[in-house]
Amino acid sequence: MTSQTATKGLIFNIQKFSLNDGPGIRTVVFFKGCPLRCQWCANPESQSGRPELMTAAAGTKKITVGTYQTVPEVLTEILKDKAFYDQSGGGVTFSGGEVLAQADFAIALAQAVKGQGIHLACETTGHAPFDVFKAFMPYFDLMYFDCKHWNPQVHLQGTGVTNDLILKNLRQALAANVPLKIRIPIIPDFNYSLDDAKHFGELFQELGVSEVELLPFHQFGLNKYQQLDRPYRLKDTPQLHGEDLLAFQATLAQYQVTAKINSW
Amino acid sequence: MLSNVELKTTDPKHPFGKLTPRMQHYRDKILDAKPYVDAQRAILTTQAYQAHQQEQVDLLRAHVLAHILENMTIYIEPETLLAGNQAQSNRWAPIFPEYSMNWVIDELDQFEKRPGDVFYITEATKTQLREIAPFWKNNTLEDRGYAAFPKASRLFYDLGIIGAAGNITSGDGHIAVDYNNIITKGLKWYETRVLAEKAKLALTDINDQKKLYFYEASLVVIKAVRDFAKRYAQLAETQAKTCSDPAEKQNLLTMAEILHKVPYEPATTFREAVQAVWLTHLILQIESNGHSVSYGRVDQYLNPFYERDLAAGILTADQATELLTNLCLKTLTINKVRSWGHTQFSAGSPLYQNITIGGQTVTGEDAVNPLSYLILNAIAQAHLPQPNLTVRYHKGLSDDFMQACVAVIKEGLGMPAFNNDEIIIPSFMARGVKKADAYNYSAIGCVETAVPGKWGYRCTGMSFINFPRTLLIVMNGGVDPESGEKLLPDYGHFTDMTSYSQLATAWDKSLREMTRQSVIIENSCDLALEQNYPDILCSTLTEDCIGRGKTIKEGGAIYDFISGLQVGIANLADSLAAIKRFVFDEKQLSTTDLWTALQNDFAGPEGETVRQLLLTAPKYGNDDDFVDQLIVDAYAPYIDEIAKYKNTRYGRGPIGGLRYAGTSSISANVGQGHSTLATPDGRHARTPLAEGCSPEHAMDVDGPTAVFKSVSKLNTKEITGGVLLNQKMSPQVLRTPENCEKLIQLIRTFFNALHGYHVQYNIVSKATLLEAQAQPEKHRDLIVRVAGYSAFFVGLSKETQDDIIARTEQAL
Ligand code: SF4
Repeated sequence: MTSQTATKGLIFNIQKFSLNDGPGIRTVVFFKGCPLRCQWCANPESQSGRPELMTAAAGTKKITVGTYQTVPEVLTEILKDKAFYDQSGGGVTFSGGEVLAQADFAIALAQAVKGQGIHLACETTGHAPFDVFKAFMPYFDLMYFDCKHWNPQVHLQGTGVTNDLILKNLRQALAANVPLKIRIPIIPDFNYSLDDAKHFGELFQELGVSEVELLPFHQFGLNKYQQLDRPYRLKDTPQLHGEDLLAFQATLAQYQVTAKINSW
Repeated sequence: MLSNVELKTTDPKHPFGKLTPRMQHYRDKILDAKPYVDAQRAILTTQAYQAHQQEQVDLLRAHVLAHILENMTIYIEPETLLAGNQAQSNRWAPIFPEYSMNWVIDELDQFEKRPGDVFYITEATKTQLREIAPFWKNNTLEDRGYAAFPKASRLFYDLGIIGAAGNITSGDGHIAVDYNNIITKGLKWYETRVLAEKAKLALTDINDQKKLYFYEASLVVIKAVRDFAKRYAQLAETQAKTCSDPAEKQNLLTMAEILHKVPYEPATTFREAVQAVWLTHLILQIESNGHSVSYGRVDQYLNPFYERDLAAGILTADQATELLTNLCLKTLTINKVRSWGHTQFSAGSPLYQNITIGGQTVTGEDAVNPLSYLILNAIAQAHLPQPNLTVRYHKGLSDDFMQACVAVIKEGLGMPAFNNDEIIIPSFMARGVKKADAYNYSAIGCVETAVPGKWGYRCTGMSFINFPRTLLIVMNGGVDPESGEKLLPDYGHFTDMTSYSQLATAWDKSLREMTRQSVIIENSCDLALEQNYPDILCSTLTEDCIGRGKTIKEGGAIYDFISGLQVGIANLADSLAAIKRFVFDEKQLSTTDLWTALQNDFAGPEGETVRQLLLTAPKYGNDDDFVDQLIVDAYAPYIDEIAKYKNTRYGRGPIGGLRYAGTSSISANVGQGHSTLATPDGRHARTPLAEGCSPEHAMDVDGPTAVFKSVSKLNTKEITGGVLLNQKMSPQVLRTPENCEKLIQLIRTFFNALHGYHVQYNIVSKATLLEAQAQPEKHRDLIVRVAGYSAFFVGLSKETQDDIIARTEQAL
């Protein structure tokens, strides 16, 4: 990281009228750069921490993904939809990539957003040094915390990192009473078995977590791999639908964990 | 809400309940009916004109209507509970020769060969129409309108830059009468008033003598309406005699009883009220073929009847719904055939018969009542393109009712549309509309608004001005590049311009001239209509025609504001943005290169390069101040100029007598696009223009909130004639109840905080999604929404798109 990241953030999209990233009508700020490499990632253009070229979705033109933006620049865009947040109980969600990879900028932007009295959420994997996460978490009215696997080794295989930091930060966030929603992306051949559900159930019981969200695997990112000219290991894996997760949900229920299926 | 509990059915496939088998059968028959051109009204009209040509015009017109009502074919279909038909068969389109006849004769052999809006016609009908044609030679509204056009103005009309085909080949329409008054007091109340006013006349005064003709004409039409109802009553009695099914026999006898009574006497029951409304609405569309004849605030005037009958135990919610679906079906039987030239401006031959529900009472309370819910259900059950349903939105509209509206929107009919009390009422009051009247407005046609029973014709629907074509004329030094005709003063050719402000100044002056021409064209039409085609029934039912002894066109209405339609707002915005950014600010493109590319319709690789550059300019609809401000500025001269010109009723009685702006272009954007060469927004020649105030197709890539923000920057307070916004929503976005709730909040924000005028949702159909797979570049605005995910529909893989499409089907 260079020092300029404190004043500028690498952002790859600011998406308005987002409906599935927190309460109300929201603007999602997508941060570019992620320390993980999830095999199923639907935003592969978010992984690299540098601007990169990508073929446009419709056509053959090359477009640059990611621009460095200042806090006031991003804030101006965010404020355009303030009326919608106010009416709908919505706000802003930081997503990615991994927001924590640009923690300084994220905190500066978070301060600016909160300064406008706007509800702020983030979507994070929680993979960051303990102290970085500690400084980061107080700014959020709501945190969607991805818990991709219960087993450190399998986590490593699927995402490129173990879940050690992640679970540490999850415990930290729970202890600090950060309003949390834990999300599990359900991926075939990774964490979809009922045995996985059992272990997740045990983990959540131990953590004292009683509600989680399940996100069924989807292929919305498939084309992006071609557009980036990158291989995609899961390209033939069929999508999951809400109804495919009922048994998983029922298993979690045995551990007093209520799982809401957030289908696409 | 009690009604809501009552109406929620347990059948998830039919959340609105199903049509009764009777209405289902009726619907099938009506939808199967082939539309034929019907000569009967034309023949009767000709006979009446011949018999009464010596009469003062009011009496002539009254006798025409009376003669038609007395002699036209009437029928009562076995399925219907309401009587009244417009032509010899359902969906047949009567000919109104008094307005225009030349095109009818010219197109006799073409009706069946049209590329769209086909009408069938028999050889016998052709012969009948040819026989009466000589009588109408140089004797129609169209002939008189043309004769009234000053020569220089005629050119604008002939070249299609200012469209007024509807004004010069049809009656006015665009009106709602006061059904509340009609059903609670009956036509006899109007008769009594006419007689009282007539008794006061001093006939030595020529003005009073003129009033006498209007009053006598009123009495003729009131009697004609009463006799027409009696014809149906007698027909029902005759049919009852031969009816073997006791229930059906009883139905016919009840119908007969009702039609002996209404609409002359006040209605007592719900069914009587619906029958009175339908028959009156129908006769207004036999009297004149102007479209957008609307029902007004149906839930407000019918609910007292509904609740009374419910309490008395003589009606159930289901029976009331059946009658409402019957009314919807009857509404669809009305048809209109337009000339092919005009049809392109009104694709799908809609008649814009509007039903308005919701809104506020005069004291500002939420006016939603049990019948509002019933009407929503009826519209969903009937599932027809007509009538149009409008919900009057206000801050106090309950979430429960909004949810019911969204459920109907999800049916994909594009209904209900919303109009916003929060902007319309204050803007009416600022124009001098009394509070009680402003709170009682209703939608007329699709977007526009007026006070039922008190407002003259055409609160919108006057002439159409093609903004993008005007820009091309301005750029070409006042010469229309399409026809080569010199139309406007030369303020310098675009290729000689060195700054954006030169263009802006030329635009300002030219648009003002164009506006003046539109006024002259409109006045010519109004003059011919006033002198020759008064609608006596419509005037009688419009306040204060009786008090003043004048028809609406003579200044009889209490309020009389009109508006035309400005077409291609988004294309103008995007064109100006591209010119300013690339030609003058960044100098990436020379004036000559742009002009050449436009003249060649972007042909060749150079042309395409120019076009691709133009497409990257900021586009209206993305909450970008650069382009949004350009259109606000470019629209301003029109808004300013049009306010200067009174309409033909100014100073003759009505409050107003003025004009204002309006953008409800309906489908004129298609027809006017056809005569417009390539434009600097990158639009190809002859392709459609953008609709109303909506962004150009697929250019709004920042989602619906950004569209709302852009639209709300327009000077809505002054565009009282309507700010039409169509938004599309992918079904994927609305798949959960939570997201439907967010749609409601989206609408609320647009109306509460941004003071929008109108919005209508079209749920993206399966066909559109399939088309988007094949032609992604045309649908890059289709959004999908998934947690933590960034992309558009067209960015998805084919398999994922297929999966979404399959699930879309299930959801709807
Ligand atoms: S954490 Fe999210 S952004 Fe990062 S690789 Fe995984 S799925 Fe992609």
